[in-house]
Order: sequence, then structure tokens, then C-alpha cells
Amino acid sequence: MSSAGLQEGSGSQPLLRARSLVKEFSVKSEGGGHKGTFRAVDDVSFDVYPGETTSIVGESGSGKSTTARIIAKLLEPTSGTLEFDGADVTRLGKRELQAFRSNVQVVFQDPFSSLNPRHTVEQIVSAPLRYQGMGNPKDYPRIVKELMVRVGLNPDHSGRHPAQFSGGQAQRIGIARALVVDPKLVICDEAVSALDVTVQAQVIYLLRDLQRERGFSYLFIAHDLAVVRQITHRVAVMSKGRVVEEGRRDDVFDDPKDEYTKTLLAAIPRINPEWDRARIAYEQLQMSGRPSAPGGSGALGTD
Amino acid sequence: MTQVRHPDEPAQTDGAPLLEVSNLSISFDTREGSSTVVDDISFRIDRHKTLGVVGESGSGKSMTSLAIMGLLPKGARTTGSVLFKGEELLGRSEKWLRKIRGDQIAMIFQDPLSSLNPYYTVGLQIEEAYLAHRGGGRKNARTVAIDAMRRVRITDAERRVDDYPHQFSGGMRQRIMIAMALTCEPDLIIADEPTTALDVTVQAQILELISMLQAETGAGMLFITHDLAVVSQVADAVHVLQNGQTMEAGPTEQIFSRPQDPYTRRLLAAVPRIDEVVDVPRPVFGGVQ
Repeated sequence: MSSAGLQEGSGSQPLLRARSLVKEFSVKSEGGGHKGTFRAVDDVSFDVYPGETTSIVGESGSGKSTTARIIAKLLEPTSGTLEFDGADVTRLGKRELQAFRSNVQVVFQDPFSSLNPRHTVEQIVSAPLRYQGMGNPKDYPRIVKELMVRVGLNPDHSGRHPAQFSGGQAQRIGIARALVVDPKLVICDEAVSALDVTVQAQVIYLLRDLQRERGFSYLFIAHDLAVVRQITHRVAVMSKGRVVEEGRRDDVFDDPKDEYTKTLLAAIPRINPEWDRARIAYEQLQMSGRPSAPGGSGALGTD
Repeated sequence: MTQVRHPDEPAQTDGAPLLEVSNLSISFDTREGSSTVVDDISFRIDRHKTLGVVGESGSGKSMTSLAIMGLLPKGARTTGSVLFKGEELLGRSEKWLRKIRGDQIAMIFQDPLSSLNPYYTVGLQIEEAYLAHRGGGRKNARTVAIDAMRRVRITDAERRVDDYPHQFSGGMRQRIMIAMALTCEPDLIIADEPTTALDVTVQAQILELISMLQAETGAGMLFITHDLAVVSQVADAVHVLQNGQTMEAGPTEQIFSRPQDPYTRRLLAAVPRIDEVVDVPRPVFGGVQ
């Protein structure tokens, strides 16, 4: 399977290098006393390459969200190291943290709860610029409008509030906010999970196109492996706090080595591929009046 | 998952389909006037058969299931007809419906935690569901509860019957909901996003369990979901809804391999496939959603 636009990350140095990350939480006994520790993240290592996407997949309790929070510096790891752009960023002072935040942005699952309902789109999208003291505030309205056009929003709506948008549109606002400071890494934490399937497909393509245009990296956290397959270059499978398998996308999806990865992939509900082939042929026949070649691309153009 | 079909199943003795929904419309009065959430939809479900109702948010799929159960929120106006074994369900008193609900028609919801009472053991809750319709002694009901828990493959049921909901995982809680739904051997099961909140490995187990139990009991099933891959595996026929209207309906294979309606086609094309990568040129954002 060819994968247009998915270049090998080999040769280049990783943008992000996570090594042996551990996060322990103390667990209290029923009486309130200290009972022990729970390892939510247990010896997790992975790389994210420039211009590429690394996905962390797993079921609930796998530790994928805790890992994302560590990378976003919303949570301190108990041990382990984090390198970003060749520098150790495991522990940062206040000023270093601010610089780090301009390079690493997050798109959250629920667009509405992550957008200030009292602010206009212009205020929301320009907030990271203001926080970082970047650019001239006089240019913010123009910058916001340009970005709105690029993520598929009507720039005339920059004065509206989040509640006036649909879920898919709100997520586009979240994406615009993440990209306004031109980050090197965008962390997507279940960023398309809450969207209806037709909207989800549009947002997936948008995320992929933006990466190809601008060359930044994604750390994509998701439970839906079919979504991950559409967008990722590398994938790390987590279970019970550990990475059980890590590798390039097609290696992991087409030839999983770990038993848990195999179970996970087998459990995913599939549409009968024969029905899919029949549908694509049928739709092409209706559009062109003649049958398509076997394996011909569908309405969306499969590769 | 195995698809269960019973072509030799005899027709119903009274000749009426198990469930026949005809020209069902549901509307609410809002400040801006009347708002129709379900608009003239019709379908039927026979014993042993599963009808999948699919749609995105706002399609009216959950309102349809609530209407059948007589559980619509106050202020909802319904027209049309919902015949269950030949008897009209719309417009019935709460008292009459209560006898049917949980007995002849069972419901499995998305979120088992909010459907189970945290203050009572799961055993007691299964027992109550049984006693409400079948009566008899507490002792017999307990036997029924333990047996139901065994049927949904909860190991060590004799001991776990006295555990509380929070002592079970999400998948196990959904098994308990299914056990509760099945104690009275319902003729019709309404499953509204029954696996949406579950992990994918657990989802696979629950779907298999539902199919197996349905095959055993011969119940008909209305399976409501947003997930087209799931519906392709469980349903004999599919009904596609958008904004309260029927876009397309037919046998599952026909809907998936020869969809006629543009919305159905768009929906099917949008489902990400685990075994392939769809790569499109930059899409047109003319109709941004």
C-alpha cells in the first residue's frame, strides 16, 4: 500500500524523544492512609519525527492520556526523560516552559469545553499569540481570518462565540488556535472522537493536509485504530501503562507481533470488504455508466 | 461474529409482525414554533431479526426508540402508529406501558452505570426487575438472577450476585444490564448504542453475547447506533436516518453494497477502514459542518 505524503522519518533526528517515562500515583487505602503506588505509565519510550505523526493507541486505562499529559507538560513524570528538538525538557523553569508551549500545542477532545464560551473566535484563536507576545496585535484580526479560511471556517464569523458553531466547526476553531503560533508539535488528544462520522472524515483530512503544508508533527492519542490508520506514520500500542508494540504504521497494522495488538486489531468491527468493493464498483458504474477495473479507486479515491 | 438467521422460523401465530412502526412523527413545541425531530418513518421487525437504525447526532434515532417505549420527554407530540404484536403502543397509559416494558420489551442503554442504582447489589436489581413482572418469592428471583448472570458469562455468579455496580468493570456492568433485560424473556429488545461506551475488545464480546442470546430466545431487536461497521455485523436490515427522515432502508447487504441515497453513500465513504488508507486530494469545504 503506497502512502502518498507519508515520508520515512529515517535519517532525520526525532523532534521528540521520550525515554523510559514512568508516572506513579499514590493510592490511598479506604481509611485514607497511604496504601501504595499505581503505575499509570510504566517505562514508556517512543519518538516523534519532524513532519510526521506518531500515534499512541490503547483502551481505557492503558495510560495513553497520562502519557499525552506528560508530553504536554501538564503532568510531571515520576522518572524518565523527554527531549524536544535536541534539548532536555524533562524539567523546565517558567520561562523555558513558555517557550516550550509555543512549540507544542494541544487540540482536545471536547471542543466546547476547551473553548472559552465568553470569548469570540478572534479572541480564542489569537490567545496563544497574545500569551507568547508574538507579532503585532494590530495584525491579529487578519491572521485569525486567514487561518479561519484555511481550516474551513467563514472568516466573517470571527466575531461569533463558540456556542454559535457546530461540534465540527468548534473543533476547527481549536485547530486554528493550535496552529496560530506555528508550533512544531501538535498533540491531538482524542481530537476527532466526539465528532459525527461525516464530520470526522473532513477533520481527519484537514489535519493531514495541514501537516503536509506546514511540516509540523502530531502526537495523536486515540482509541479508534481505524482513524489512526488514516493519519499516522508511526504507532505505539499501549496496554496497562506499557508500550507493548511500536513501529511504522503498516508494519504494526498489517503484521502485528504482540498478542495484545493482535487481539485489539481483531476486535475492531469491520464492514465486509466484499460489500465495500461492490459498493465502489456500483457507484462508479452509476456515475460513468461503465464498470470500474478491479481494485479501482472508490468515490473517495483509495490508495 | 456469527450472523444468526432463522429462515425456517414459523410465522407469528396471530399473523401480526412483532413490531410495526407506521408513519411515526415526533415533534416538540419550541419558542420558534413546532420542531419535528422524527418525520414520518415506518419499519417493521420480526422475531429473530435485527433492524439496525443508523444516523448521526440529531437524526432522531434515539427519539424513535423512546417513542416505542413510551419514554419520550414531556411535551413531545407523536402521530402515526406503533403496533407491538398487533397492539397499539402510542397513547397508552403509563400503567399499561409499565407492564410491557422490561417484560415483553426490554431495553439496553449506552451507559450501564447511570442505569444501575449504586446503592443496591446487582442481584437485588435483577431480582426486582423479575419480581415486578413475574412475582413469586424472593428466593426464586434470586435463583433467576444468578442464572441470568451465568447466561451473560459472569464467572462466579453465586458470589458476585451480592456485589455492587461499582465493583464491576464497564463491560461487566453492561452484561448485568443485559442479564436484567433478559430475565423476563422479552419478545423485543431495544438496544440503544449498547456498546458505544465500551472498549473495542469488550464491545466485540458484548456484541457476540447479544447475538447469541437473541438466537436462543428468538427475540426481535431494534439496534440503534451511529457505528456503521457495528450495524453491518449485527443487523439483518438497516434503516438510515438523517434529521428525522428516512434516507434509505433495506436488507443490510443491499444498503452496504448498493446504496441508492447520496447521504447513505457519504456516510459509508466517511467510515474509516482499519484495513486501508483513504487518501484524498484536499477536500472541498463548501459545505462545512
